[in-house]
Amino acid sequence: MLEIKNLHAGIDDKNILNGINLSINAGEVHAIMGPNGSGKSTLSSVIAGNETYEVTEGDVLLDNKSLLELAPEERAHKGIFLSFQYPVEIPGVTTTNFIKTAINEKRKANGLEDLPAKDMLKLIREKSELLEMDRKFLSRSLNEGFSGGEKKRNEIFQMAMLEPKLAILDETDSGLDIDALKVVANGVNKLRSKDNAVVVITHYQRLLDYIVPDFVHVLHNGKIVKSGGKELALELEKKGYDWLK
Amino acid sequence: MNKFTEDDLKKELETKEYEYGFYTDIEADKFPVGLSEEVVIAISKKKNEPDWMTKWRLEAFKVWSEMKEPDWANVNYEKPKFQDISYYSAPVQKKKLDSLDEVDPELLKTFEKLGISIDEQKRLSNVAVDIVIDSVSVATTFKKTLNERGIIFMPISEAIQEHPELVKKYLGTIVPTTDNFYAALNSAVFSDGSFCYIPKGVTCPMELSTYFRINEGGTGQFERTLVIADKGSYVSYLEGCTAPARDENQLHAAVVELIALDDAEIKYSTVQNWFPGNKEGKGGIYNFVTKRGLCEKNAKISWTQVETGSAVTWKYPSCILKGDNSVGEFYSIAVTNNFQQADTGTKMIHLGNNTRSTIISKGVSAGKSQNSYRGLVQISPRAKNARNFSQCDSLLMGDQCGAHTFPYIECKNNSAQIEHEATTSKIGEDQLFYCNQRGIDTEKAIALIVNGFSKEVLNKLPMEFAVEAQKLLEISLEGSVG
Amino acid sequence: MDLKEKLVSSFLAFENKGGLDLDSNVHDIRLKAIQNFEDEGFPSKKDEEWRYTNLKPLLKHDFSLFPITNDAVGFKNIKDYLINEIESYTLIFIDGVFSSFLSDTTHDECDVCVISSALTRPKYKMVIDNYFNTIAKENNSLSDLNTAFTKEGAFINIPKNTIVPKPIQILNFSTGSEKEVMLQPRNLVVVGENSHVQIIERHQNLSKNTTLTNSVTEIFVHKRAIVDYYKIQNDTENSSLIDSTFVSQKMQSVASVHTYSFGGKMTRNNLEFYQEGEHITSNLNGISILNNKQHVDNHTLVNHKFPNCESHELYKGIYADKSTGVFNGKVIVQQAAQKTNAFQQNNNILIDNGATINAKPQLEIFADDVKCSHGCTIGQLDEDALFYMQSRGIPKNEAIALLLYAFGNDVVEKIKIPQLKSRISKLIAENLGVNLGFEL
Repeated sequence: MLEIKNLHAGIDDKNILNGINLSINAGEVHAIMGPNGSGKSTLSSVIAGNETYEVTEGDVLLDNKSLLELAPEERAHKGIFLSFQYPVEIPGVTTTNFIKTAINEKRKANGLEDLPAKDMLKLIREKSELLEMDRKFLSRSLNEGFSGGEKKRNEIFQMAMLEPKLAILDETDSGLDIDALKVVANGVNKLRSKDNAVVVITHYQRLLDYIVPDFVHVLHNGKIVKSGGKELALELEKKGYDWLK
Repeated sequence: MNKFTEDDLKKELETKEYEYGFYTDIEADKFPVGLSEEVVIAISKKKNEPDWMTKWRLEAFKVWSEMKEPDWANVNYEKPKFQDISYYSAPVQKKKLDSLDEVDPELLKTFEKLGISIDEQKRLSNVAVDIVIDSVSVATTFKKTLNERGIIFMPISEAIQEHPELVKKYLGTIVPTTDNFYAALNSAVFSDGSFCYIPKGVTCPMELSTYFRINEGGTGQFERTLVIADKGSYVSYLEGCTAPARDENQLHAAVVELIALDDAEIKYSTVQNWFPGNKEGKGGIYNFVTKRGLCEKNAKISWTQVETGSAVTWKYPSCILKGDNSVGEFYSIAVTNNFQQADTGTKMIHLGNNTRSTIISKGVSAGKSQNSYRGLVQISPRAKNARNFSQCDSLLMGDQCGAHTFPYIECKNNSAQIEHEATTSKIGEDQLFYCNQRGIDTEKAIALIVNGFSKEVLNKLPMEFAVEAQKLLEISLEGSVG
Repeated sequence: MDLKEKLVSSFLAFENKGGLDLDSNVHDIRLKAIQNFEDEGFPSKKDEEWRYTNLKPLLKHDFSLFPITNDAVGFKNIKDYLINEIESYTLIFIDGVFSSFLSDTTHDECDVCVISSALTRPKYKMVIDNYFNTIAKENNSLSDLNTAFTKEGAFINIPKNTIVPKPIQILNFSTGSEKEVMLQPRNLVVVGENSHVQIIERHQNLSKNTTLTNSVTEIFVHKRAIVDYYKIQNDTENSSLIDSTFVSQKMQSVASVHTYSFGGKMTRNNLEFYQEGEHITSNLNGISILNNKQHVDNHTLVNHKFPNCESHELYKGIYADKSTGVFNGKVIVQQAAQKTNAFQQNNNILIDNGATINAKPQLEIFADDVKCSHGCTIGQLDEDALFYMQSRGIPKNEAIALLLYAFGNDVVEKIKIPQLKSRISKLIAENLGVNLGFEL
């Protein structure tokens, strides 16, 4: 489904990604781990199309079509979802209004009519229950004054609403207490299917106890230095990253 | 990448045409240009006014002749040549109209383009509309329903004939002819406007609405609005403004006076979309308006305005909180683009005890525009326990525009509590990327963020207007989609 | 003859007396300044910048412009007004004349001396040509007036890489040798790259006679230099002060001006900061505690011209009796000044009915990527706090005084010279009637 080929990218002439190769198939969960500064967040930003980063070499393909020439919103319409490490606050715009706009824009891009208000409300109710979200958050300004955990839960709620093909969870576990972590992980697991894929970017293996990966990749200096199954995460937890360098 | 960047947006904004810029070809009865005592008398005659009214106008004209045009506002423009303006222009009507069916079909088309199909409105929504084109009120709807409750809602020219005692008692009491240059000019030459009186204890069952439109070229529009809410009554009043796109600047100098007697409440909302001039800053309306309201005991006046139009705006809807426990509110969103200039705000004059005022002002500047907030909060020595909260937020789009705040706070009573806050911000790159990632393109994202920014003000508008206002914000900032 | 006429007609006499080379640049500057003053005259209430301060009653006095000097003033008369607890350089002026006997100047590592000698000695010609009257605002009639009559004042010239080892105190005394006197001190401060200086300035009337001081200070802060300037305004009830201070900053410099206004009949502070480089920080702090019919008008301007700069402004006011406070803070962010952080805060308490505060915090923003805010409050003391203190047995008046003291404290906290801090704390306590009981 997603194919990353020899991807080089950087910011202001500074190279961060130095040739990443990765293949992700439908139905799979991949975990990308690595120490601070290894390029994990850059990778997710580049896939989502953040123009702060410049791609200097290589390609990213979704269903055999390159994503690199597409604007972030076009990538989103094709089913890329990034759960932000630091979700952005938008004062005055309610979560409901925001997600409604996002869904209808996606539908428009795919030649569909706006979702009728009734169906939208039903969907919102359903998905917010899945994430055990307090309904009052939905009518508050997006992420404004939300705690870290509430913001992350809101990200997964949006993911549930948008039903992406490929979801990238960037440090979704940071700032979550164990109960919130379980809820979020539970939400993600319920959304998994044979047609979609999930990339979990994390520093610790804690989240991987709840979202069990099929593959684990270790990123170091902008390259994947080791890949393996879920047991690799446990090994990393025990030994740290130093032995890989 | 084919991403829609802020530069693209800027380009689109510049090329965006004024959506309401059409000219209705109606035969007009127009005065020759220029202003003199004779013209003032002629206007008064034309309107068949009683002597006292003519005298009142002439006094105002005398005052105006001795006044200088003010220049303290943070705006630059070529001063209007007052002798080159025609002070009266009315669509020619063969006879007085009894129903809408008799209205000139060209005119009705105009209304439709304005988005006010009167028929539709009549059937679907609960809004009574008075429409002023150029200088004359052409249609007032819902008269019958209002009459049943004793509510008077009619062109002020008719009110002068039919209710002289009310007009005489209140006209010019809140905005005296001597108040300022434009108010004096208006008092001398106003030709029409709306008059509204809500009797004691009556809650007006529907929104009252006036649409103002300048149609004829080379004319000025000087309408006069007088709203009186008698003791314990309530009214919500809406006002909308448009004008065709023209190369020359046209002058609009209106006066609005509100009187809220004991325990009464007036909610006055404006959606102002006068032609703002083209992208080179040519043409557009000079909007120099004096709006003021007086609150007696326990009364409340709430001004809400959405300002997207006009080349130059000079406007400070104000409240004189005379009665104890009276309340004044001002909610404003002003959007400027291209070469627009706006200097707008409010005055809250606290005279009574326990008076309260709230000011929420939001400014969005784009293009090469300048957007200023100017406000005064004044607490008189006798006003015990006065409260004011003011918040002025500015959003800047691009580095060619300006956002300015000039609040004046004058407090002479030690029991007052005043809080003023102002912030300036831009739309963050991170906010745009976040929206993009969720599939919302930049143009839509900006509209969403601006709407969020304006929400506290938009929320104060009556439903019928809120949707229109929201659209207007998108139009003025977004450019046409696709 | 009104004061303006008197001043204008005295100008020639003044220049002749001054013994200055009439070909010098300074002469031209003066001439232009007096012409400007003659054209503009004193500002009136019609002037937007003066709408809340009326100079008219003050200008009715028949001021003597060239007072006789009182030679009898000795150290014992002035010592209370010095911060004695610290070593310092001192520049003492008596009725506008420098007293070398009472002062402690230096030319060792830096010049701490007087402007009269700087204006006349060839050695300083370059400094004078480069700096004198270059930022004192043109077409500002009051600073023009001062420029025209510039005769004496502090001249502080710090070369680069110099940490001035002790603070500099500038004290201007009037002795009442004349019934009504007008003084026009003029200070020039130039601080070189990487240098650091602390300056304390005070105007003091030693008599009950009337004094009007029209003071102008120009401060130049070069690359990475740090300047702390403290103004103590605690003069007698017949003393009025118009102070205009202009600060020009180069890249990465930090300049702070602190203004403590407790005394005087009428005080007008014009404080203007011009940022001429990137990564500059400007700090403006002030506290006014007024009673009777005192009037203090703080007019500030921060002009952000370059990217990545900051300004922090905090002014507090406590107004009792029939006193009047004015705060007019203007922040301009020019188009090039992206990434500016500008904060302004003005908090006021009116103690008595009859006291007035007029506030006008203004932002003029021409750049989009900036963080600017201002806040202004007018209010009373926290009733709950007051009740809490009373319920612990603290009498109401004392509780009020303590709360007011606390209200002003965050401005005092910014003082970097401990001895000065405790002096200012004491002055505040005195003015509020707080018994501190022990040294803070």
